[in-house]
Amino acid sequence: MSGTLGNRIPSYALAAFVTLFFAYLLLPSLIIVPMSFSGQSFLSFPPSGFSLRWYQGLAADIVWRSAAANSFLIGIPAAFIAVVLGTLSALAVERGALRWSMTAMALIVAPMMLPHVILAIGLYPVMLDLGLLRGYLGVIIGHAVVGLPLVFVSVSAALRSYSPALELAAMTCGASPLRCFLHVTFPMIRMGIAGGGILAFAASFDELMLALFLTGTGTRTLPRLIWEQLNDFLTPIVAAVATLIFAFSLLLLAMLAVFGRATRSMQASLPLASAEASAHG
Amino acid sequence: MALPGEAAGRRVWTFQRGNALLLLPPGLFLIVFFFWPLLRVVVRSFVEPQLGLENYATVFGAGPYLRVLWTTIEVAGLVTLLCLLLAYPLAYFVSRAHGRRLKLLMIFVLVPLWTSVVIRSFGWMIVFQRQGVLNEALQSLGLTEAPVTFLPGPLAVYVGMVHIMLPFMILPLVASMRGIDRTLLRAADVLGAPPYRRFLEVFLPLSLPGVSAGVALVFMTSLGFFITPALLGGPRMLMAAVLIEEKANVQLDWGLACALATTLLLITTAIYLLYLKLMRRDASLPVR
Repeated sequence: MSGTLGNRIPSYALAAFVTLFFAYLLLPSLIIVPMSFSGQSFLSFPPSGFSLRWYQGLAADIVWRSAAANSFLIGIPAAFIAVVLGTLSALAVERGALRWSMTAMALIVAPMMLPHVILAIGLYPVMLDLGLLRGYLGVIIGHAVVGLPLVFVSVSAALRSYSPALELAAMTCGASPLRCFLHVTFPMIRMGIAGGGILAFAASFDELMLALFLTGTGTRTLPRLIWEQLNDFLTPIVAAVATLIFAFSLLLLAMLAVFGRATRSMQASLPLASAEASAHG
Repeated sequence: MALPGEAAGRRVWTFQRGNALLLLPPGLFLIVFFFWPLLRVVVRSFVEPQLGLENYATVFGAGPYLRVLWTTIEVAGLVTLLCLLLAYPLAYFVSRAHGRRLKLLMIFVLVPLWTSVVIRSFGWMIVFQRQGVLNEALQSLGLTEAPVTFLPGPLAVYVGMVHIMLPFMILPLVASMRGIDRTLLRAADVLGAPPYRRFLEVFLPLSLPGVSAGVALVFMTSLGFFITPALLGGPRMLMAAVLIEEKANVQLDWGLACALATTLLLITTAIYLLYLKLMRRDASLPVR
């Protein structure tokens, strides 16, 4: 620590602070894991006994299974729409001659920054008019709106990482715009697209507010079902679901780490952070 | 979509012109499913149940609504301050790490970020409940005799919200601290500045872009919190998003819900514009 600020602060004090800090960051995620193997039917700590019955109960329960299926049936198409539209908007802003590119960027990113509750009460009457309320399509569109900026930010970062001269060269050599995209642009940004797609899926998978307003009992997602259970009765079955979702999101994070390498991980991690922020504690 | 050279009359197709047209589909999508719904919220706040400012008179008049807005701003402000105080030293530590160690530290920051917010709030319920982790710990240490009621209450809300927002403070801070030229600190050292002056007069001013970006981001996001205050806060910690959801979804008072939402929209937009201005000044951060 020589030559910088740290030489007055003992390193063990800093190490202790950092350790406590990370204990705090990991505590609420890790605490649910032992609870899910509890032998009791209530959630007191420490859990006594060990059983897998909550996982068995989960596997047998049609309500939980259909909520899990709904989360995928909504998350995957929503991520797909977000990927297509987000990539188009990133190409337009980064590679197009837009006079108001700053404004365009600010408007495209806006859905990520706005409290979801405002969008939810705005989309409710729109979906009602379109006859899409409580169906799959309504909430898919809602989640695509929230996912679009994530893809936009991720693909923009990928586009900024190489020079547009490459595309110009291809066009000068006679490549059509489509060919140029398929053979030059796409190979350069595909990691950014994949990373953005995972972010958009994760945002949908974790989203509660739009789901509360736009889904019905048949299209209810996992976060909504967990939410309803938390407000009514607390059993370790919620801990079992939470543990599974926790494991699944770690898998998504690992996938993102693989794709993120192409898009400068630090650059990508902040917008990605804002992504989750807009899932709104 | 204004393209340069449009006024010149002759429309020459260029690569950039063609690409600008790609904005049409996402633009239309966002207009129909994002900007139009927001406009409807604003309009509705003035016309439901009848034309006029009645809803705003209710929100800003005597009654519980103005207090909820203040609580929201107060909670968001305190959460932002706590996040800054905790994140600053940690970001300093992370920004000095290299290679494998840096990666490991970033994973520790990102894992909680990736855990579902509903699930993390559930985790805090287990920690703070009557027979929870905290009460067991306090009793076994002999600090309390009987279980203390933490739920619902402000402590749980602050612990839960700070936990969710910390990564959003850490990431911009780390980004800006890593950009600081460390030889400037050595120069200050050589010139005889004691550590506290090296920090206050060199390091802190240089890290301010990260501080302002983090503060704006955390404050803006905290204003819209729903899950944490709804699950852990109870009626005393009622925040705007919780109230809006209840007014619209439970009490079906859409006019008032839209007036509250419009107020929240205005505050958030103002901070968002400020955030964009800060971003533009510091190009090292994304969302330029």
